Amino acid sequence: MRHTSKTKLQRGQAWRGHYRFRLFMAGKGPNSQQALGNLRRLCQEFLPGRYTIETVDVVKDFDAAVKDNILVTPALILVQPLPRVTILGNLSNRQKVLLALGLTEASS
Amino acid sequence: MHVRGRPIPKVPTRISGLDEVLEGGLPRGRTTLISGGPGSGKTVLGLQFLCSGALAGEAGVFVTLEERAKAIRQNARAMGWNLEKLEKAGKVVIVEARMFGGEVLAGEFDIQGLLAIVGGHIKKIGARRVVVDALDVLLRVFRDPLQERNELYRLHEWLIDRGLTNILTAKTHREAGPALQYEYLDFMADCVIRLDHRVIGQVATRRLRVIKYRGSGFGTNEYPYVIGGHGLVLFPLTKAELAHQALGPKVSSGLFGLDAMLDGGYRSASCVLITGTSGTGKTTLTSTFIEAACRRGQRVLALSFEESRAAMVHAMLSAGIDLRPALRAGRLLVQTALPEAMGSDDHLIRALQAIDAFQPDHVTLDAVSACVRMGSEQAAFDYLMRLVSILKERGITCVMTNQITGLVGSDEELSGIGFSSVVDAVIQLRFVEADQAINREILIVKSRGSAHSNRRQAFSITSMGIQIGNNPPGPTLRRQGNGGKGGAE
Repeated sequence: MRHTSKTKLQRGQAWRGHYRFRLFMAGKGPNSQQALGNLRRLCQEFLPGRYTIETVDVVKDFDAAVKDNILVTPALILVQPLPRVTILGNLSNRQKVLLALGLTEASS
Repeated sequence: MHVRGRPIPKVPTRISGLDEVLEGGLPRGRTTLISGGPGSGKTVLGLQFLCSGALAGEAGVFVTLEERAKAIRQNARAMGWNLEKLEKAGKVVIVEARMFGGEVLAGEFDIQGLLAIVGGHIKKIGARRVVVDALDVLLRVFRDPLQERNELYRLHEWLIDRGLTNILTAKTHREAGPALQYEYLDFMADCVIRLDHRVIGQVATRRLRVIKYRGSGFGTNEYPYVIGGHGLVLFPLTKAELAHQALGPKVSSGLFGLDAMLDGGYRSASCVLITGTSGTGKTTLTSTFIEAACRRGQRVLALSFEESRAAMVHAMLSAGIDLRPALRAGRLLVQTALPEAMGSDDHLIRALQAIDAFQPDHVTLDAVSACVRMGSEQAAFDYLMRLVSILKERGITCVMTNQITGLVGSDEELSGIGFSSVVDAVIQLRFVEADQAINREILIVKSRGSAHSNRRQAFSITSMGIQIGNNPPGPTLRRQGNGGKGGAE
């Protein structure tokens, strides 16, 4: 959980555009709330001003869950840029999330 | 929670034989676990439960975690169930909930998504039944055993809270060591059924066993089952009590002479064994019975392991017995099969299906001796015992032939392959050599619950039928049921 200002973003040929996330949550479940908090923090740190988070409550909107075949919650889908990435869990494992999203903290 | 002493509410599965073992069906609004190895029929059982429910007006949701919905529909079609139609009618929904394994795991999660999806569908069609196939696939996602268990209890509670009668299936692997991988599943479920698929003597056999049933009694044996053209069929035949019907009134053997020897004829609902060496006239005697019974308006199912229907009809014509009118009138159904074509379980289910569909008064079987070719003597014994047992339960007369090898008087051979306890009457046919001629003789060796002649009688097979002693050849025209005489037990 280092917060360094020297962090550099890398994603293949470094995507400089907008990031779109879809986060599937289950009502007010603790894991879902944690996931939302973790995702927000991460975005503010790494993608300030160029991210959108869409949240879907599967309890209310089961059609959306069907459409994306979401069986477990919380589940995060990186909609843009492609390729589509699905991450399950409350996103507490920060390193894993960053790696999956192609956002690495350049360390030297 | 059930009240002790009062039967818990159950949902019939409509799976032939299973409801008998479960004493009525699966526990209503509770969880049933079905475990078994690959190919044991878990999915089929689940589908069958849903389809029978849907047809009875109780909608259901099938959650497939492994196979594609398309494959499930194909499976169902092979069993003669039209899932698409039930889906269109809003009676069944297939939820394809397949994990891809491509997901990244980062922190704790739960199966709320799945529950939301299933819950949505349940609400939409008003489902009362749910099948989840297969749990182990769902659990594989969880790397942590504790979490795995928590999620399973979550699913279980969720289903129970909604009063859904549900089946959860789980794969077991014998190689996987201590019985079930997910042992706690057994504790969680109210009813646990184990399916076993093994090979004995090169013949595949399937066995079903109920491990537990909270609040209910159940058959505790291992029950053989087959997966036929219409799903699972069980043979819960090893019941503690024999439910055989009492022997019924006399029914004519078709021959006046033989009826006289038997004090009126065969007892209906009994098992008659006609034994003799090759060519003594066993099939002819049986056909005489068939022809006469059909002419009286009764229905006969003839099981033949020896010859085809055409060959049988043709051969009997030369002995003056014409089975064609009976066939035309739909009173005679001939079912032929090569004994070695399938296992004894499959033979039995085939016969049972014919019995259920045709509802015969009498069944003939030609020949006991051929049944050994179903695999082993044990297989033949199982087949015959179960078949005769069922026929007796239903009050159907059974006339069987048995070819012996020639040592006349060999007692073991007399009763076929050692199932003499279920045989009520034994008729022995044999050749005797006298004055440079070969003659035939008939003897009633035993006839339970009836007086009978103890004399050997000469008989011959003429172009007008069998002739016993001085009686005219051919079938009698006596009517059935005129003999309460000699009927006292």
